[in-house]
Amino acid sequence: MLARSAQGLYWMGRYLERADHLCRLLRLQAEALVDRPIAEIYNGWNRIYSCLDRQPPGSGPDLFPGNDGDSNAGMLQVMGVPGTAAWQRSGGDEYTLADSFTLADDLTFERSNPDSVWNCFAMGRENARQMRHCISAEMWRSLNLAYLRIQQVDILDIWSASPEAFYLEIDADIDNFMGVAAATMYRDEGWHFMQLGRYIERAQLAVALFLSQIELFPLNSPNGSEGSESDWIALLRMYHAMAAYNRAYSVEVAPPQVLDLLVTDPLLPDSLCRSLDMAAAELTAIATGPDWRSDAAARRLAGRLAALVHYDWPDTNDQRGILTRLEIHCRELHSLVSAAFFDYAHARPAMP
Amino acid sequence: MSTPDRFQDYNLDERVYDEMFLPAGEPREHCQRLFDALVNFSGEQLASVQERVTRSFSNEGITFTVYGDEEAEERIIPVDCIPRLLPKAEWDFLDAGLTQRLRTLNLFLQDVYGDAGIVADGVIPAEVVYECPHYRPEMRGFTPPQGTWVAVCGTDVVRTNDGFRVLEDNLRVPSGVSYMIANRKATKASLRRLYRDSRVQEVEHYGRLLQETLLELAPDGRENPRLALLTPGVYNSAFYEHMFLSREIGAELVEGRDLMVRDGFVYMRTTTGLERIDVLYRRVDDDFLDPSVFRSDSVLGVPGLMDAYRAGNVALANAPGTGVADDKSVYAYVPDMVRYYLNEEPLLENVETHLCRNFEDLEYTLDNLDKLVVKRVGESGGYGMLVGPHATPAERAEYAEQVRADPTDFISQPTLDLSRSPCLIEGNFEPRHVDLRPFILHGRETRIVAGAFCRVALRRGSLVVNSSQGGGGKDVWVLQD
Repeated sequence: MLARSAQGLYWMGRYLERADHLCRLLRLQAEALVDRPIAEIYNGWNRIYSCLDRQPPGSGPDLFPGNDGDSNAGMLQVMGVPGTAAWQRSGGDEYTLADSFTLADDLTFERSNPDSVWNCFAMGRENARQMRHCISAEMWRSLNLAYLRIQQVDILDIWSASPEAFYLEIDADIDNFMGVAAATMYRDEGWHFMQLGRYIERAQLAVALFLSQIELFPLNSPNGSEGSESDWIALLRMYHAMAAYNRAYSVEVAPPQVLDLLVTDPLLPDSLCRSLDMAAAELTAIATGPDWRSDAAARRLAGRLAALVHYDWPDTNDQRGILTRLEIHCRELHSLVSAAFFDYAHARPAMP
Repeated sequence: MSTPDRFQDYNLDERVYDEMFLPAGEPREHCQRLFDALVNFSGEQLASVQERVTRSFSNEGITFTVYGDEEAEERIIPVDCIPRLLPKAEWDFLDAGLTQRLRTLNLFLQDVYGDAGIVADGVIPAEVVYECPHYRPEMRGFTPPQGTWVAVCGTDVVRTNDGFRVLEDNLRVPSGVSYMIANRKATKASLRRLYRDSRVQEVEHYGRLLQETLLELAPDGRENPRLALLTPGVYNSAFYEHMFLSREIGAELVEGRDLMVRDGFVYMRTTTGLERIDVLYRRVDDDFLDPSVFRSDSVLGVPGLMDAYRAGNVALANAPGTGVADDKSVYAYVPDMVRYYLNEEPLLENVETHLCRNFEDLEYTLDNLDKLVVKRVGESGGYGMLVGPHATPAERAEYAEQVRADPTDFISQPTLDLSRSPCLIEGNFEPRHVDLRPFILHGRETRIVAGAFCRVALRRGSLVVNSSQGGGGKDVWVLQD
């Protein structure tokens, strides 16, 4: 298939996965606003911004009244360790709600935030529009209808009614799109590149989120806090893994077990090991690219990534070390895929 | 006739041909069924038909792009839900006339890039041909596959009380055919019963005919020729159509940057390397095809493409250089061409045209500016023209200066009373001016689907049907009998 088309479908898969991931985070956060303690709500925002590697808008004393001075400090510094004096000093409920409103807007509709739900969705849809001839008519219709719906609302609309319902709807729209794709799309290379994009993105996002989580709530650290049970339950719910956890372990939530499940459970649709296995499998389904060196390197690396979680993870106490390696390798995998199939510099014509 | 409320504002004007009504106010015979249906619809039913048609366009994302000051904007083309009906006999006449015309224009192109007999025989002045900016000396001595210079043509036809007239031949990269098909899909789904009862000729097989036509142009001896559609890209106003057609004809949708020429053959970059292309349906202008031959500043084109084309290793549709045959000055000579090449009388007539390059025509034009439409030879899309009767004296005076400064750049035509067709405007039926763009395909033989894109000047009183200037579209139903 045309290299540029394959690239467009790959990015369509990535952007929609990104929008989906953020929507799920925001839905949990919106639900937390109703009944969770303020510290947990702050932790939630903190986790989101940290895994996006983004500063919240106007981070500093105005937004986080617990801070005593340094207005340039990022949110992590501002907030310090949950439960400390700084936390208790930080405003009341009205502050929480007002801040959350601003943060949700920044993450959902902000046009200048390249990672906002709106932008990810619009970019996914724009790639679909440009590659419309490569996807099924049903896929286009389902995505375009969802896009037209998002176009009609802003933060005020969703905030006054039920923000979680909005995020749930977008999440469902994307799931629906992927279901329509599975039912109607021709299984040519376009399909495999779309899937490859989704799985690489999903692995990358999971790694970033897990790293943020253990940054906030260090595992096995004598001084640090592992956070409250609900900070880890949120992570399980994010991956639809609550029931799986209860079956595999017990109703008592132990942070290391949560992470083990999310990383290694092969039956969990969004587990890290499954994303990496699927990325490797999609690569296998794609014919060798014109830059065969990058192609071979990409295939080897995909296998090595999967091996890291299959073989190294169960034996290690250094989860953070493995996640950091995975983070670097995922980026590398993306570069190799681009070099092998999309941006290859020079090629010989195939025999006519 | 019994005047139902929704037709109360429907003013018939005897100077203007009405597509639905006879001058006395009775519906034309072939429109009786449509008229009865419209009269019997309730207001809500009509609103819902219109709403479904509009929504179908928006849901499908059928858009064209408008360039504003800041950024390009995707817009939905306004569609009127009431079809324009043509009886079979009228269509058969158009079909024959259009076939005759396209045959002629292909012969003309072969001639002016060859021995130019038509110039030597004094039928058309040399300067009209050779001074035309769309004449491409690079094409001299070349014969395209099947002698087909123009494989895809979209001819603008208008109707007045004197009958059908060709307003313009679009022989370079005509667009609009996807709207014809989208209009049909939307209208058919919204007027189901009426559509079935009306026995309308199909248009949705256009893609198959286009594919057959293009494959006939493939270089000899190629098995399973590979088609590609060359688009300027997603920012082009007709991108939706390029995408749509590429899917219909099983072509890769490529941009210049996806293509390269190696050893005289054209290849596209795929995920497995380079793959050869045999027929390129190009939807970019000549200027942007090959920077090594045409505009060197173009980043859209494919260096070496023209060499590959002239070597016969790839077919281009349409051939470069066809613009000389749809030039507004050359247009005036098409009836003479029909007589010259085919020894037949033209079936479809032109609009009376005055070439300001001729002194008497210039005088006539300047003396009658208040009655004429004056157009620049090189402009299209409704830009740069003066509609005399609708202009102020100051505008006319200013325009006259421009004409005097460079008469060869202008032609003038009488202001035509384009025929009108009923449209649903705020719940009532009102007449609006319309034109008709049928699409003609020409490979080894001529193929025409019985239908057209009908453009509507939706602003009251306006004669400008271009979508960039407030025009919309409607479906055309050619009846089976």
